[in-house]
Amino acid sequence: MAESVIGVHEISVSYGKRGKTVKAVDNISFTVEQGECVGFIGLNGAGKSTTIKTLMGFLFATSGEARVFGLPAGTPSSRSRIGYLPEVALYYPFMKARELLELYGGLSGLPKQKLHEKIPAVLEAVGLGEKSEILLKHFSKGMQQRLGIAQSIIAEPDLFIFDELTSGLDPIGRHTLRSLLKDLKATGKTIFFSSHELTEVEALCDRVLIIHKGRIVRDAKIAELSAESGSKGLEQFFIDLVHDTEATHE
Amino acid sequence: MNSRAVRLIAGTVLKESLRRREMYVLVFAACSLLAIILSMDFFGLRGLSKFYREISLRVMGLTTAFAVIVLAARQLPRELENRTIYPLLARPIRRAEFLLGKLTGVLLAGILCFALFMFIFVLGSLRMHVHIPWIHFLQHLYLQVLMLAIVATLGFLLSLLVNTDAAITICTLLFLLSAVSSMMLVNLYGYMDWLGRRVLIFLTYFLPQLTLFDLSEKTVHAEQWPPLQASVLLTLSLYASVYIALYFIGALVLFRRKEL
Repeated sequence: MAESVIGVHEISVSYGKRGKTVKAVDNISFTVEQGECVGFIGLNGAGKSTTIKTLMGFLFATSGEARVFGLPAGTPSSRSRIGYLPEVALYYPFMKARELLELYGGLSGLPKQKLHEKIPAVLEAVGLGEKSEILLKHFSKGMQQRLGIAQSIIAEPDLFIFDELTSGLDPIGRHTLRSLLKDLKATGKTIFFSSHELTEVEALCDRVLIIHKGRIVRDAKIAELSAESGSKGLEQFFIDLVHDTEATHE
Repeated sequence: MNSRAVRLIAGTVLKESLRRREMYVLVFAACSLLAIILSMDFFGLRGLSKFYREISLRVMGLTTAFAVIVLAARQLPRELENRTIYPLLARPIRRAEFLLGKLTGVLLAGILCFALFMFIFVLGSLRMHVHIPWIHFLQHLYLQVLMLAIVATLGFLLSLLVNTDAAITICTLLFLLSAVSSMMLVNLYGYMDWLGRRVLIFLTYFLPQLTLFDLSEKTVHAEQWPPLQASVLLTLSLYASVYIALYFIGALVLFRRKEL
């Protein structure tokens, strides 16, 4: 059997020191398979970003194991196949969009010639075709987010990990992004993203993971959830699930 | 070691230092120095070559060291604060390569400062018909670059231990006090008890003796001093390498396990 693209096995992540630790992620396990588009949803502070940062090697699991393409998560070789969009990221204000993509593409190992060919097309794809020579300090939040998406796709990775995918995007930006993700999905790429936009998740994903207070409380295919939620929709289903989980804990 | 990654990150630091216009303060200082020198010539104050050399070398050393300290101590905290570190470290690079790239960039910025000052210095010398003791001068520049590398790695290490302001302050104090600290340690040693002496010995070896890298006096009075022998330069290079390696390893140990 082929190795999962993402394999998370009983990981826990804690913050803090000397007895004042907070368990942000509590013994979670899940997998993401090749070609899947998986949405990761939960309230603020539920553990979404912590899980994603652990997959990227920015945080370290206190127990358990996370693997990406069969390799320990966070190693340079596992990251070489990931396109990552951080939750909130500013990009160097003293650089131009083209220069930034040259930097990130170069760090991903793309040859200079290939980068020169690819950059205009990638900027065009995210709607920044005319902005390549503008310093990033003049970019709006939405433009920065589009640039963030551009930097994540520049090296044509096999797996995309997006933290708060549509954050800061206007309706046109969301539409562009949705088309882009559908194209990526059509080419067999694997996508794992967190979002608060449940309609976005519903429209794009094959499967949804719901995390609450550091624990995975639901892992189901969109079709199953749609059937279960009926006419009330994913948003109401999510709210009800969170309330039910709270009530069970109390 | 991914040398391309190191080069790219170093290039970014250099670009930042140029585009953020922080280095322009140094340009202003250098131009002011030249203006003073030119006005001295205008007033007919000739024969001040030693004074000119001393002032130039002091301004060159102090300004560049301060610029390097500030640049080095701010690199990592600024990356974390602005969250620019995430898309960077999401690439297939090691944290060691990231740190080395940053350090190289800071050093290149320092060397650029030196090059600028050297240009101003030479220009002023030609204007005033001052003799430049080239061998002394180049030896001084080489040792200053070594000193800057020590200070920059210490700046990186401190920025991972304390906040940016504290890192800049401690580094600056160490640099400024280096001229008197070794003499002070020797004098204090006689008055200390056993524990105090152990602390002084520890400080003597833990803190680099930066005065060893200052050849400004010899360059000013070049007529009375021969240039340094190659063996002395080699020893000083090794001495600097030990401190650079120790501080860099210390910074790497802290940074490798730092949660972002």
